[in-house]
Amino acid sequence: MDRRFKARLEAQFGDRLSGPVRQRHDQTEIRIRPGDVVPVMTELHDNPIFRFEFLADLAGVDTGEVMQAVYHLWSDTTPDWLRVIADGLSRDDPRVPSVTFLWPGAEWMEREAYDMFGMIFEGNRDLRRIYMPPEYTSFPLRKDFTLADDAARSPGGGFRHMEQTHVPANTPSTVRRLPGSRQLPSVK
Amino acid sequence: MTTAQRPSADDPRILLDQEAGVFEPVPPYPPRTEREAEFYTLGDGQLFLNMGPQHPSTHGVLRVVLKIDGENVVDLDPVLGYLHRGVEKLAENADYHQVISQVDPLEYVSSLFNEWGAVLSFEKLLDVEVPRRAEYIRVLSAELNRIASHALFMGWMALDLGGLTPILWSFIERDEIVEMLASLTGQRMLFNYFRIGGVNGDLNHDFMSRLGNWMSRASEQIEANQGLLNENEIFVRRMRGLGPIDTKTALRMCFTGPNLRATGVPFDIRRAHPYSVYPELDFDIPTRVEGDCLARYLLRVDEVKQSLRIIDQCLHQMPDGPVIAKLPRLLRPRPGRAYSAVESPRGQYATYVVSDGTDQPFRMRIHDPSYIHLQSVGLLMQGNLIADTMAIMASLDPIMGGVDK
Amino acid sequence: MTVVARTWNRLTLPGKVIFTVVPLLIALTAGLLITLVLVGPFLVDFIAANLPIARFVVAATVILLITVPTAFLIIYMEMKGIALMNLRIGPDRVGPYGSLLSVVHGLKVLMKEDFTPTGADPIVFTWAPVVVYLTSVMTLLVIPFAPDGLVAQNFNLGLLYFFAISGLSVVGLLMGGWASFNKYSLLGGIRSAAQVVSYEIPLVLSVVGVIMLAGTMDLTVIVQNQAGWFTDWYIWQQPLAVVIFFIAATAEANRTPFDLTEADSEIVAGFATEYSGMRFGFFFFAEYVNVFIISALTVTLFLGGWNAPVAWPEQWAVNLSLDPGSLGIGLLLIVLIAPLVLTLLFATPLWLISSRIKTWQALLGGFVLANLFIVGLVVGVGYIGFAWVAGLLWFMLKTYVLVFTFVWMRGTLPRVRIDQLMNFAWKWLMELAFLNIFVTAGAIILIEYLRRS
Repeated sequence: MDRRFKARLEAQFGDRLSGPVRQRHDQTEIRIRPGDVVPVMTELHDNPIFRFEFLADLAGVDTGEVMQAVYHLWSDTTPDWLRVIADGLSRDDPRVPSVTFLWPGAEWMEREAYDMFGMIFEGNRDLRRIYMPPEYTSFPLRKDFTLADDAARSPGGGFRHMEQTHVPANTPSTVRRLPGSRQLPSVK
Repeated sequence: MTTAQRPSADDPRILLDQEAGVFEPVPPYPPRTEREAEFYTLGDGQLFLNMGPQHPSTHGVLRVVLKIDGENVVDLDPVLGYLHRGVEKLAENADYHQVISQVDPLEYVSSLFNEWGAVLSFEKLLDVEVPRRAEYIRVLSAELNRIASHALFMGWMALDLGGLTPILWSFIERDEIVEMLASLTGQRMLFNYFRIGGVNGDLNHDFMSRLGNWMSRASEQIEANQGLLNENEIFVRRMRGLGPIDTKTALRMCFTGPNLRATGVPFDIRRAHPYSVYPELDFDIPTRVEGDCLARYLLRVDEVKQSLRIIDQCLHQMPDGPVIAKLPRLLRPRPGRAYSAVESPRGQYATYVVSDGTDQPFRMRIHDPSYIHLQSVGLLMQGNLIADTMAIMASLDPIMGGVDK
Repeated sequence: MTVVARTWNRLTLPGKVIFTVVPLLIALTAGLLITLVLVGPFLVDFIAANLPIARFVVAATVILLITVPTAFLIIYMEMKGIALMNLRIGPDRVGPYGSLLSVVHGLKVLMKEDFTPTGADPIVFTWAPVVVYLTSVMTLLVIPFAPDGLVAQNFNLGLLYFFAISGLSVVGLLMGGWASFNKYSLLGGIRSAAQVVSYEIPLVLSVVGVIMLAGTMDLTVIVQNQAGWFTDWYIWQQPLAVVIFFIAATAEANRTPFDLTEADSEIVAGFATEYSGMRFGFFFFAEYVNVFIISALTVTLFLGGWNAPVAWPEQWAVNLSLDPGSLGIGLLLIVLIAPLVLTLLFATPLWLISSRIKTWQALLGGFVLANLFIVGLVVGVGYIGFAWVAGLLWFMLKTYVLVFTFVWMRGTLPRVRIDQLMNFAWKWLMELAFLNIFVTAGAIILIEYLRRS
């Protein structure tokens, strides 16, 4: 845990953070609004006191209430992993700016997040499905996704009565939710 | 954009292809992105060549659509998903112990690193202290696995350039190590050896005697195998200057591991963000500055030597003690998030776990280096020949099990 | 129901077969005999009048038949040789040391489905392997295997004919590549066209020096010019040409490291991607026959052909005036008794050497040893008594050493890239071949001048 790094982050992004800076083990976590991804990432990448030149990971997370785009960054200015969570994407229309302008290598990671969660990364030049077949209509890692449901709906799956009758009703009670996540009003 | 359009029967391209009776690798629906539209528009004198998913040298079931002009590759589009098993989805429906065996077949030539990545993040989530002997055993077995993986890489590299012999020579070394690990873990390939809080079993006599035998002649044997390729004029001439990438581009393309170090950046998770007992071990991070295929190849040779050093130190420094921490059978970490990365033979293998307080991960994200490196093939292929496609791809060392998750 | 039909129904199946086949055979034999008696004299007259044509037909047939076992042998050599280089065991199931595996491969190829892909041009697709295989066989016609006329067709433009025909094989490869209606095949065919045409030039230029030295294109005369000690071979007068010729010939035969036409890690199998069954078998055989031919031509041009490396000194000449006819009935006795006596003779020491060797084992060993001895004796007598046996032995020995070199290269070297291949042909080999021509010509003129003065 790097306390001074936390102080630096708070000093730099005080008004942009949508939550407290959390630290645990070797990770420092900040939460920002999806609209702030571009300025925050640019600042982290370019500012010599941060110098986060290395994007370690880009993940999508569906908390059951909201969507999150999670970035992990590495820099030699701190011993911690920096986790940047773009929080509060609406589940109906999750949109977040792409970071491919900083790291072109994020392209496929964003494609994967799109494929699995349906998150739209605005500015990604090639946002199509990467694992699932192009005619696929669902987003498998979303919490309201059940396999049997999709097999009945997919064009190659045919109509399977057993699965249709035995699939649990897709009610909100069966959807796992991350405690503490909140629903933001969707931007429409 | 969220839903792909279904192929329509009046799409002229489908009818044309049916009449000709030839498979054209053009998707039978309108392009979804600008990039796809640009790629699937042929210029003058160009044609599409579909490589894979059944092709002698795509390292598994990768499919690549090449846009070629004569022998020159203009552009290429990798098509993934032929090996997609949805490990991330499976992990959400398995408890923390079961996940370890789920991630095994990702990068199937270096399974221990997959397990390590998962185990490391779970331990962070659970605040588990791992016994020191277990850490040393982990380092020892993982470095052996790294050598096995690199041995396979060297053979493949030569095979993709048309050399038949090196792969069989390097398989001798690999088989030796795999047998060794089999006597330690019980499996030859998907080891399922690491546990949350330690490893599955202590070192046994069979493993130690095999390891001792092998270590006494390993470096000589590796030198002999290298002699087949390093002094081969055809091999060196084909590899030198092929698919170069500079440091800045490599960082922007999220390169890690040997591929990044071949451009001159001494970035190694074992040193940059140490885990396990690596801070106590003495080893160098080999780097090269050329950034071409030959550099990527030779760098892995150097890494094998460093791994041998680490194994030697592990054997000398290994303390006695338990090999696994005492933990309850059912693990319920408190809600939280953990990220951990290990230096796999291909680069940064990272696992990001979100816990919601139940005994199953709420979300498990697997960041695979093969996947990240494979997307740069198009960049590295600019203006190269068809013959180089496979050479460049092989030099990045992607494993399709990891790419397709 | 007639009597004949009732009798027929009472016959068993073998009886039906025998009663059908035997009268047919008798009728056929009778017919053949009558035809021979009627036509025979005219046939003999015709053959006598057109002896060269008859000889050519027989020789061409023999050459065509020889290519098959040659290909089998080389395929086995390659499988086993590369296996040993790879530290594998290689074929070891069919025949002794797996030596019949290539034959089984041949049978397998015959039994496979002969498949023509949709969209392919069936006529061109079918004829392509025939063209490739026939060009290989036709080039073999002018290779002199041994003295005393052991050459299918000897004529004074042999070398020119060789290059003319071997250049035709590219037509077959292009046909196969084009007609397959597959992009890999097309790339393979076009690659082979580019490669073969490029390497044809240094290949032909490199032998010009030999032609100037020998003063002829007749391959038999070229070999005769190299008679004597191994120092008389053209390899010493044309060292550069040998290297150029061998490299260009490797490329011409599409062998590693120049096997770009069928580079499996790039274009699957090149022009042969869509071929299966015996049509693929023809391509496959042609490749190995080409290896043999290229080796044989290298031996003929540069390594003295059928000549032994050491000239047998005249004063040691052995005169084996062996006339089997003089033995009379004794010959028959020797043929009958010799194997038995020799078997017992060789079995005795084996039987005595250890009590652990059983009698039947000793007899078996004795039989094998006796057979080896007899074969050795026959070959030895043939070697001393007949020039063509000695010539054939030396020729085959040298050729197969070169064939092994090809196998060795395949086991060792990676593949070159197409641009490196082209650069090497046009920027290096061709210039060196020209240099070789000028140096050879200059040397010949100089030596002539010195001799005259």
